[in-house]
Amino acid sequence: MGELRSREVDTPGRMLLFSMRRAPGWTAALVLSTIVGTATLLLLPAATAAAVDAALAGSGLGPALVWLGVLLGTAMLVEIVDTWASTAGATAVELALRRGLVHRVLLAGVAGRRRFAAGELSSRLVSGTTEASGLVATVLSIADSVVLSVGGLVALVLIDWTLALAFAVCVPVFAVIIRRFISEATELLTRYQELQGSLSARLVEAMSGARTIRASGTLNREVERVLEPLPELSAAGLATWDAQRRTVWKVMLMAPLVEIAVLAVAGVGVADGRITPGSWIAVGGYVGMAMGLLGLVDSLMGIAHVRSGVARVGEVFDLPDGPGGTLPLPDGPGALAFRGVTVRVGDEAVLEGIDLDIPAGIAVAVVGRSGSGKSTFAAVAGGLLTPDHGQVLLDGVPVAEIRPDQLRRAVAYAFERPALLGETLHDTIAYGSEGIGRDQVEQAAARAAADTFIRRLPQGYDTPLAQAPLSGGEVQRLGLARAVARERRVLILDDATSSLDTATEAEVSATLTRLLAGRTRILVAHRAATAAGADLVVWLHQGRVRAAGPHERLCHDPDYRAMLGAADDAWEVA
Amino acid sequence: MTETRMTGGRMMSLAGWRLLTRELAPRRRALAFLALWSVLESLPSLLSGLAMAAALDQGFLAGNAAAGLAWLGVLGVAMVLQSLATRNTFPWLAQIVEPIRDGLVRVVVEGALRQAVEHDERADGSVVSRLGRQTETVRNLIAALLRTLRPTLASLVLALVGLVALAPIVAALVAPLVAASLGLFAWLTRALAARQRASVLAGERVAQVSTDLFEGLRDVVAAGATGSARESADRALVAEARARQALARTSSLRTLIMFLGTGVPVLLILLLSPWLLRPGRLTPGELVGATTYLVGTLDPALRSLTGTIAAWGRQLGVLLHRIAETGAVGEATPHRKLRPTTFDLTIEGLTFAYGAAAEPVIDNLTMRVPAGRHLAVVGPSGTGKSTLARLLAGLLTPQSGEIRLGGVPVADVSRSRVALIPQEAYVFTGTLRENLTYLHPEPATADLEQSTIFPAAPGGGSPGGAIYRWSTTLDVLHTDATRGDLDEAVAALGLAELVDRLGGYEARLGVGGPVLSAGERQLIALARVYLSPAKVIVLDEATCHLDPATEALAEEAFATGGRTLIVIAHRITSARRADRILLLDGRSAQLRTHDDLLARSPRYAGLVANWDYQPAR
Repeated sequence: MGELRSREVDTPGRMLLFSMRRAPGWTAALVLSTIVGTATLLLLPAATAAAVDAALAGSGLGPALVWLGVLLGTAMLVEIVDTWASTAGATAVELALRRGLVHRVLLAGVAGRRRFAAGELSSRLVSGTTEASGLVATVLSIADSVVLSVGGLVALVLIDWTLALAFAVCVPVFAVIIRRFISEATELLTRYQELQGSLSARLVEAMSGARTIRASGTLNREVERVLEPLPELSAAGLATWDAQRRTVWKVMLMAPLVEIAVLAVAGVGVADGRITPGSWIAVGGYVGMAMGLLGLVDSLMGIAHVRSGVARVGEVFDLPDGPGGTLPLPDGPGALAFRGVTVRVGDEAVLEGIDLDIPAGIAVAVVGRSGSGKSTFAAVAGGLLTPDHGQVLLDGVPVAEIRPDQLRRAVAYAFERPALLGETLHDTIAYGSEGIGRDQVEQAAARAAADTFIRRLPQGYDTPLAQAPLSGGEVQRLGLARAVARERRVLILDDATSSLDTATEAEVSATLTRLLAGRTRILVAHRAATAAGADLVVWLHQGRVRAAGPHERLCHDPDYRAMLGAADDAWEVA
Repeated sequence: MTETRMTGGRMMSLAGWRLLTRELAPRRRALAFLALWSVLESLPSLLSGLAMAAALDQGFLAGNAAAGLAWLGVLGVAMVLQSLATRNTFPWLAQIVEPIRDGLVRVVVEGALRQAVEHDERADGSVVSRLGRQTETVRNLIAALLRTLRPTLASLVLALVGLVALAPIVAALVAPLVAASLGLFAWLTRALAARQRASVLAGERVAQVSTDLFEGLRDVVAAGATGSARESADRALVAEARARQALARTSSLRTLIMFLGTGVPVLLILLLSPWLLRPGRLTPGELVGATTYLVGTLDPALRSLTGTIAAWGRQLGVLLHRIAETGAVGEATPHRKLRPTTFDLTIEGLTFAYGAAAEPVIDNLTMRVPAGRHLAVVGPSGTGKSTLARLLAGLLTPQSGEIRLGGVPVADVSRSRVALIPQEAYVFTGTLRENLTYLHPEPATADLEQSTIFPAAPGGGSPGGAIYRWSTTLDVLHTDATRGDLDEAVAALGLAELVDRLGGYEARLGVGGPVLSAGERQLIALARVYLSPAKVIVLDEATCHLDPATEALAEEAFATGGRTLIVIAHRITSARRADRILLLDGRSAQLRTHDDLLARSPRYAGLVANWDYQPAR
């Protein structure tokens, strides 16, 4: 399956083409059933009229009834096909959009999350695609309404031209009312959906602070805080009702007036003998069809939904590609080189002009105050982020241009707050290392000093993540285990042991140093011990390398000692 | 996630029904007005066949066009009334539908948050689905039901009444067919229910899988697992699409059933017309009128009725059940409103295990922390440090033994007096000021703490004897955090640089706000507690993302404020600052000074030794 591009789905028109390509069979079935259905509906009043006239005249009833029966049967079949095809078509399109959206978000990578919160992305995936995928059905139902109303009008002309004339006068008035309604409705709906998104985002955020909320006893207050946008949402909702009230009743008032006028003209025709009594029933039916134009209000409301859905989905598809290219990565020892690397967030440079060589097989500690760019350094080093200027080379190949699958087989990451992915503890350690067995998972866990606590859980490695009471340090060790589950030439630990106590951290460091000797390691750290144990220390300050060298040498600088908490030693137990 | 169980045949589960009636109950007036307007709205349905028959028989076919036109005029007036009635329904509809949505959103938010907070569960992604899609679908469904089903039902009934009045023979022929088709339809709804439920559950799974994926995106990319992440998302997506298609297939059976109630009667009446039109039975006008009822009113009404119920009624039932289930989580938080006046912390025989069979994490711990002192808790991971922190804050109930603060069991102490800061700092959408003053002076609306005035304090008022007193009007004396308070906290915790970077106290944080590092978030959480009235502060590795200098500053700020500070230490430097150190090593607990421990405990010496790399001064 090819990748779904923004320009395929960014406007309702393109979305329509996309939908037709994605579900050609169902679309064809739907189009066919709509055409046959419309024709049947147009013929039905005439057939009914003919049957009634035949009944009243007492002759020719047989054929008329057979024809009516055929039409009624066809209408039924068409309806069945319609129900199937519209759902099947919409789900096929929705599935393609959802798959494309997941793919796009995965391709955009870390940078994409800077633009959309997870809750927001999820809401666009869940509801945005559903709205957008209703396009074909909505367009067909509008086409259907249009054909039916035009057909009804033609039928009126065929019965008697005066009937059509009576009807035609009113049409422009409806057009004006409806046009005003749709632009207003789109605006109101977009606003409504934005408010919903903000509610979702607040809820996700509050749930992430569950522990603090519990400890502070502020649950009730948090509920209110999450619900803050609710009155506005309510107001937006009320506004949509008001818009409907202002429009729908006018349309409804027009309808009976027209219908009565046409029926009156027809009644005179019946009295003159120009029109049969049976046709009178047909006139009622055709006027109703011609009036179908008014039913368009609901369909147009549907279009408004689709339009805002398309817009919301389209924005996600606009996310640019994350890092990754097509260059193969040849075998190598894992040497990294930074060449003029600059990363900006907005106007602010988070990293600026970093030039650095990291020889293969050494341990590099990256230190610096909070906000000095350490995490960005780590992200750029392993190709999670593409620098705005300059490049990072892994064994001579620009990281940003390496095929992602090959890059990920070469570089492993562990983070300060790892996401627990998969269903069980086993899954989360094996995540990204498909096909490794339980013994390898256990070995990785043992290396990260996670084996012991995992065994204490009710179902050990098979304990579902949602049921495992894990501390921050335990989560970090799971993240570490994931990083060491497979052999990689470069290992990047971004503050990945910050929640471990010093003893466990020492134990983990010792194990890793022993096992990973000869592998390139980048350790973002706060602790002096980590810096002291590294072969090289890179000291970042305000996005630049302030100094790089062995810990012992840097220690001569009092600023360095202060930054690492050397000042702490001034405090002695009295 | 627990499997949803629903009573198979019923339209709606009891829980869902209760939720709906609870939300609808206050809107009885609006519902009554809607019903009134419905009758007026259906006037044309009642009159259509009768007026048509009269217009033909007495007017156009009798050569009296004026009488025919007059009858049509009657129908016209009925239609005008109908449109006016429809116009008047909208405000009532809005008054019913919008508050219901508000109510449901509240139920979902409260249920989800309570689940996460009180049961310490990992955030469940399906909540976003419930909030976004289900509550919205319920709103649309109720709106659609009220807009469509209500007038449809009214016109179905009134059209039958009109048919009986116009042509009783026809009514007698038609009624059994309509009844049969409705009966078959009722039978079909059972099958639809199962499909509908499967579809809703599959939808929730999609939301959960996608939220987990998007939240963990960085890890997915870094693990090189985009392929498998895509596959697992794909499985959920495909399962949902299949469930919806199965539902559509079952729904289409409805069309067949409807044909029995709509198409068959018309064919039957016309087939019997030679017999029906004999003198004394039906006039030509009555035949046309009866056919008008069948084709023009009954047919669309019946279709719309069953279509609405099939598509929406069931779905509404399933969704309401799911929402009710979310909302019904857990009981209310126990009221904790006691405020001790002294703050010595005593722990006696404290034992705690995570489950009956599990080994205790804390085993028979007895100790005392005088008010205003600084305690550090150290020990290898998994020795129960965080558990102790949560026990100290009264968030866990021990199997035996107890913790008292100023003589009061800690689980009864107002939460404003004991603050626990966990490792993952919580920063919410709002201004920096709102984030900082979150606990200052008291959570204004939280937990009913000031709701009850109690009688005078038991046990008298002497300083030694009065262990605690009841809270009465003390909260009134608190004032809002002033600029000065904020500035002081900012200075004490070294937050000035961050405040500057963010652009002052009114800077917006959270959704759409600036990206904060983990350390910055921790600083905000610390300052928040600094500004709170808490007398006992438990830091559960709450400074792990700060650099050591900032950490020292923060701990000193708390320690010098006369508050009791208990630090689950994360660096040995932090432990050294404490007056006493509690060493938990899995088997035993020791409470001593740093030097004492260093001399006596090889384990502690081992912990400290790992810091021997510490650069020399």
